[in-house]
Amino acid sequence: MELVIDVKNLSKKYGSHEAVKGISFEVKKGALFAFLGTNGAGKSTSIEMLCTLLEKTSGDVKINGVSLGSRTNNYLIRKAIGVVFQQSILDTRLTVEENILHRGNIYKLTKKELQENWEFVNRYLHLKDIAKKKYGTLSGGQKRRADIARAIIHKPTILFLDEPTTGLDPQTRVFVWDAIKKLQEETNMTIFLTTHYMEEAAVADEIVVMKEGKIVSKGTPHTLKEQYTYDELFVFFNNGVDGTSLLTQHDLNFAEKNGEYRVRVQSTIHALDILKELQNFISSFEVKKGSMDDVFIRINEEVPLT
Amino acid sequence: MNTMLNLVNRHNKVFRRDRMLVFFSILSVIIVIMLYAIFIQKTQVDAIEQLVPASDQLKTMVNEWMVAGLLSIIAVTTTLAALGIYIKDLETKVMADFLTTPNARAKIQLSYVINSLLIGFVLSLIGLIACQLFIVFMGGSWFSLEKIAQLIGIIALAVTLSSVFNLFLTLLVSTQNAFSTLNTVVGTAIGFLCGVYVPLGAVPEFVQKIIMLFPISHTTVLFREALMRDSLDKVFEGAPEAANTYEIQFGVHYEWNDVIFSQLDSVIYIVAAIIVFTLISLWLYGKKNK
Ligand SMILES: Nc1ncnc2c1ncn2[C@@H]1O[C@H](COP(=O)(O)OP(=O)(O)OP(=O)(O)O)[C@@H](O)[C@H]1O
Ligand SMILES: [Mg+2]
Repeated sequence: MELVIDVKNLSKKYGSHEAVKGISFEVKKGALFAFLGTNGAGKSTSIEMLCTLLEKTSGDVKINGVSLGSRTNNYLIRKAIGVVFQQSILDTRLTVEENILHRGNIYKLTKKELQENWEFVNRYLHLKDIAKKKYGTLSGGQKRRADIARAIIHKPTILFLDEPTTGLDPQTRVFVWDAIKKLQEETNMTIFLTTHYMEEAAVADEIVVMKEGKIVSKGTPHTLKEQYTYDELFVFFNNGVDGTSLLTQHDLNFAEKNGEYRVRVQSTIHALDILKELQNFISSFEVKKGSMDDVFIRINEEVPLT
Repeated sequence: MNTMLNLVNRHNKVFRRDRMLVFFSILSVIIVIMLYAIFIQKTQVDAIEQLVPASDQLKTMVNEWMVAGLLSIIAVTTTLAALGIYIKDLETKVMADFLTTPNARAKIQLSYVINSLLIGFVLSLIGLIACQLFIVFMGGSWFSLEKIAQLIGIIALAVTLSSVFNLFLTLLVSTQNAFSTLNTVVGTAIGFLCGVYVPLGAVPEFVQKIIMLFPISHTTVLFREALMRDSLDKVFEGAPEAANTYEIQFGVHYEWNDVIFSQLDSVIYIVAAIIVFTLISLWLYGKKNK
């Protein structure tokens, strides 16, 4: 598959402080790529370098095959990318339409192109009801819609979003997320985003986890879960049954708390075999799959999986 | 639409729609008018009556003196307020948003300066109209076409000088907090540095020299000469000595160690200052965005 972002040994120093320490990764065309990491991990720094806003200290970045760095190349890259910043960057006293058309006009589009693009963003972000409203009077969710519309008014092929959902209420987060997914699926736009929310990263095609300027893990949500989490089976035994000795007999790894036994299983399917063995002794059970939250916590705590 | 035109248009809308910003950009004008109404006008009339007998033209002349000060102050405060948009954009990442478009940073920066010139010019013209109405209302006469052309020319010089001078100051700060302090300092100092709050003759000699060296005060001098010449000739008719004393005391023209500055000297000084502040700004800008 075609690579749209190819990063090799990218690093950034602020004075003597190395915020990004030689990271490498690739993003495929049309992918939803998530950059995960705690505060200060270097996500924003990385994204700003990719967006030509911050000069890299060293390393190679290719976006759509174009090497980042020279002025002409950066202009080519800027035409191909859209950026949604964490904070609002539209003017509060201008209407949504004025805002977006003013920003769209800086891309040297013809009148016709701009008109077509305006219809395009309207379609994806449903701006009709807010187009004539002043940006400053909008709700958080409506603002985010306008922000994303601004970022794609020139129909970029790659959309960068730095924490697009941080600070939004759950309902708005879902809306923003749906809009992003729809853009990716219907227009094959490559989406590159950073987030603190694990459940968001879980729907990404590819995840990179950063910690203190380094990539500590990468893969699909599935492979990361396999690597960093395990599934668990929770059982309650019938009265009078000695759960501890039963489980020990079966050579299972477990922990007990208030009568609830927590059994680590290789996968949810394996829980089935155990349940078959124990079915006459247990009163209730529950099987839980490892979550992205677990992945994140494990990676950051550096708790090795035994 | 052309990128530059579009950017200027956007900055302009942002300025116009911020009523408070517009209001504060002309706040010092209101202060001048109040100070004038309360005491400057009366003390000046009294001072002149010591020199020559009172005449009808006297009040008009003093009104014109104030108007001259107003016009040079408007140019400074409005261009500075317009540049405030640049600092705000810098701090709120709007600038970063502009920089994700295929446009040079210098071009984007220039758009703020053009907008500042535009706003300064338009608000100064509105100021000029208001001043003309005020003068006529107070018993003065309408300006001749020649005078209007001359005044517009001086406005163009004053706005350009103020804009590049303020650009230089603006490039020294990078936060909205620092900018608002700068705004207060400039708004307060400019009335003194142009000899509007206190006439030149009323301050110690070294302060007079500072004022004379301050390039923007030369725009006030040009405005005074253009606005007051007819009235001056009438009020001080047959009293050239008194006329000269007044003109020097009230900064209608400057005299530096017995050398008199002509209007042309002031124009040359202003143009030179425009060039110098432009070059310093370019240098500062280059240093900041290395
Ligand atoms: N302009 C700067 N000058 C100096 N250090 C900086 C600058 N910007 C960021 N840093 C430092 O670089 C490191 C990475 O910051 P960055 O903003 O990239 O983190 P992040 O992963 O985006 O964090 P968050 O989740 O809080 O947004 C931090 O230690 C930060 O303090
Ligand atoms: Mg960040």
